[in-house]
Amino acid sequence: MSAFIEEGSPVIVQGMTGHQGMTHTARMLKAGTNIVGGVNPRKAGTSVVFESSRDGEDVSVPVYATCQEAREATGAVASVVFVPPRFARGAVVEAIEAGITTIVVITEGIPVADSAYFVELALSKGVRIIGPNCPGLLTLPAPQHEHGVNLGIIPDGIVRRGPLGLVSKSGTLTYQMMGELSDIGFTACVGVGGDPIVGTTLLEALQEFERDDATKAVVMIGEIGGNAEQDAAAWASEHMTKPVVAYIAGFTAPEGKQMGHAGAIVSGGKGTAQDKKTALEAVGIPVGRTPGQAADLMRDVLRERHLTA
Amino acid sequence: MDLYEYQARELLEEQQIPAPRAIFAQNSHEVAEAADSIGYPCVIKAQVKIGHRGQAGGVKLAHNRDEAILLSESILPMTIHGHKVNGVLVAEAKNIIHEYYVSISVDRTSRDYDVLATANGGTEVEEIAKEHPESVKRLHINALGDFDEEAAKRMADQIGFYHADAEQAADILLKMWKCFKDNDATLVEINPLAKIGDPDDESSKSLCALDAKISLDGNAAFRHDGWKRFDDPTQSDSLEREAAEYGLHYVHLHGQVGVIGNGAGLVMSSLDAVSGAGESQGTGVKPANFLDIGGGASAEVMKHSLAIVLSDSQVESVFINVYGGITSCEQVAEGIIQAFDELHSSKPLVVRFDGNAAAEGLRILAQANNPNIHVEDTMEEAAATAAKLAATALASKEAKR
Repeated sequence: MSAFIEEGSPVIVQGMTGHQGMTHTARMLKAGTNIVGGVNPRKAGTSVVFESSRDGEDVSVPVYATCQEAREATGAVASVVFVPPRFARGAVVEAIEAGITTIVVITEGIPVADSAYFVELALSKGVRIIGPNCPGLLTLPAPQHEHGVNLGIIPDGIVRRGPLGLVSKSGTLTYQMMGELSDIGFTACVGVGGDPIVGTTLLEALQEFERDDATKAVVMIGEIGGNAEQDAAAWASEHMTKPVVAYIAGFTAPEGKQMGHAGAIVSGGKGTAQDKKTALEAVGIPVGRTPGQAADLMRDVLRERHLTA
Repeated sequence: MDLYEYQARELLEEQQIPAPRAIFAQNSHEVAEAADSIGYPCVIKAQVKIGHRGQAGGVKLAHNRDEAILLSESILPMTIHGHKVNGVLVAEAKNIIHEYYVSISVDRTSRDYDVLATANGGTEVEEIAKEHPESVKRLHINALGDFDEEAAKRMADQIGFYHADAEQAADILLKMWKCFKDNDATLVEINPLAKIGDPDDESSKSLCALDAKISLDGNAAFRHDGWKRFDDPTQSDSLEREAAEYGLHYVHLHGQVGVIGNGAGLVMSSLDAVSGAGESQGTGVKPANFLDIGGGASAEVMKHSLAIVLSDSQVESVFINVYGGITSCEQVAEGIIQAFDELHSSKPLVVRFDGNAAAEGLRILAQANNPNIHVEDTMEEAAATAAKLAATALASKEAKR
């Protein structure tokens, strides 16, 4: 089993029949993800054919009216959510109540009160949410498996299996870092999202990688806003046995301006990139000045600890 | 989105939270009328979205009509900590017996709502927390739980509104929570929540919100008619407004290198790289803006983006940084060429492509054979080149002067 999810886990897609949902379901299938159903009450009973999507064969994915129905029919354990912001809370609550245990929320622009509600509900039921406003989760297959799991929009084919874990608040910086360290490879790459309240924090992603035997070291990408990096640093200094290298974006961000992500804002002098860098370095986590330099720091760490050939 | 005090008051009044009578005014004539109607003495308060306005001379007491006019003429043209004053609030002056601080906000770490309160209000709560951490109470409202009258009473007891009516305190807490929830706020702060009245007459004393700060969740605008009632056209940057009309996230930073990229994190990272290059090259060149074209951007989006960035007269070069995930570098390249043809710009452009259709994108740029379009392999090299080109352009402008 990889970090976060087992290879071959059955997956449903909420919002599959929309434009984004169709595009990315085709991609996820091509990457070998076991997509077993879509959810849309208005198209229940139909199915969608994705051409030459599994080993060159067409794949027909049935559409169900509800998550409950989809789970009962398929045994799905995970869901990827592409529904628009105004329907996101309902969709995620439905998945939680249907007994789905891993929910990846790609949707950007969900009101924070809605996220707070479904995240709290998930936490109370032991359900893992990744996101919202995130690129999702990509796992690379362990040696005995042919395919990993691709839940969301992270491009396939940039990286192969290797000893690194990657956790990031940003989508494109995730891809950038995957590219920088493509020669070394990853067990799993997870984008936790750039909203103020997320289902899996940087700290919780570190916990997951600490538990995963195949992961030997972790790259963490943070950005301005909140204290997630400081919280992760404090936890890592006490509990993490594996080395962590970090990169933080937003040193030039001005006070009080939201930099794209809803959560990326320095307010009242708090949440600055410098504060995060200081907190990380204080517990021995090196922080790169650029993504490229962070990748070099990771190479140094791997060499020092004899973790690469 | 932060509100002005007069707008925040509106939302508090909708929940019937007691506040002094007050009228918003934007010129000395309106101020005189408002002051006459409120009565004397009254407080003239600058309306700016920034703290410490009192220390900056933005809050004054007027004892008569002439004084009210005089004070408004000095306050209205002010710029406080870089923020232009948008008007004044003319408010009833109250006799303050004691000041408290209460706020409700989104707590990113505990992933619920944070109620912060202290009986030592009136100044910055951060300072109180530093000097007297024991006097600041921090309580939580669970996102699933119902914060009702009972819960509000328990919380008021825990906070300890000593010398005040605990029932009224609980009532205000409950109304603040309603204000927070109903308006999709991320912060509702009353500071000070004051005990007012005649010190010698117990029955005259009550709690009253003398100042308020409210921030709203931009993501929730769709269920509040787009927050049109709080629209503030006089204050926002014209380029930021134009970009918003195209659905682009643009932040004006007033440097010399325009920055365009896909994904908020990558754009922030690009700004840092430009700043770093300006520093290490010793020119002090800085990024001119943040512009995120988002995921899956079309040639059209790229064209608008470049037009907005280039219409900033301070911009001397542009750095375009795209890592193609969903976004196709080919589309971005087409947008760049179209924009260049239409805008007849002679400003240098430095492009770095990677990922989805990067090779195709680079081929389109090469075919255009435009000497103003430069290509670099890495983000660091591209930032360095863009910073250098901006510095060169600045230097030649200086020389001509």
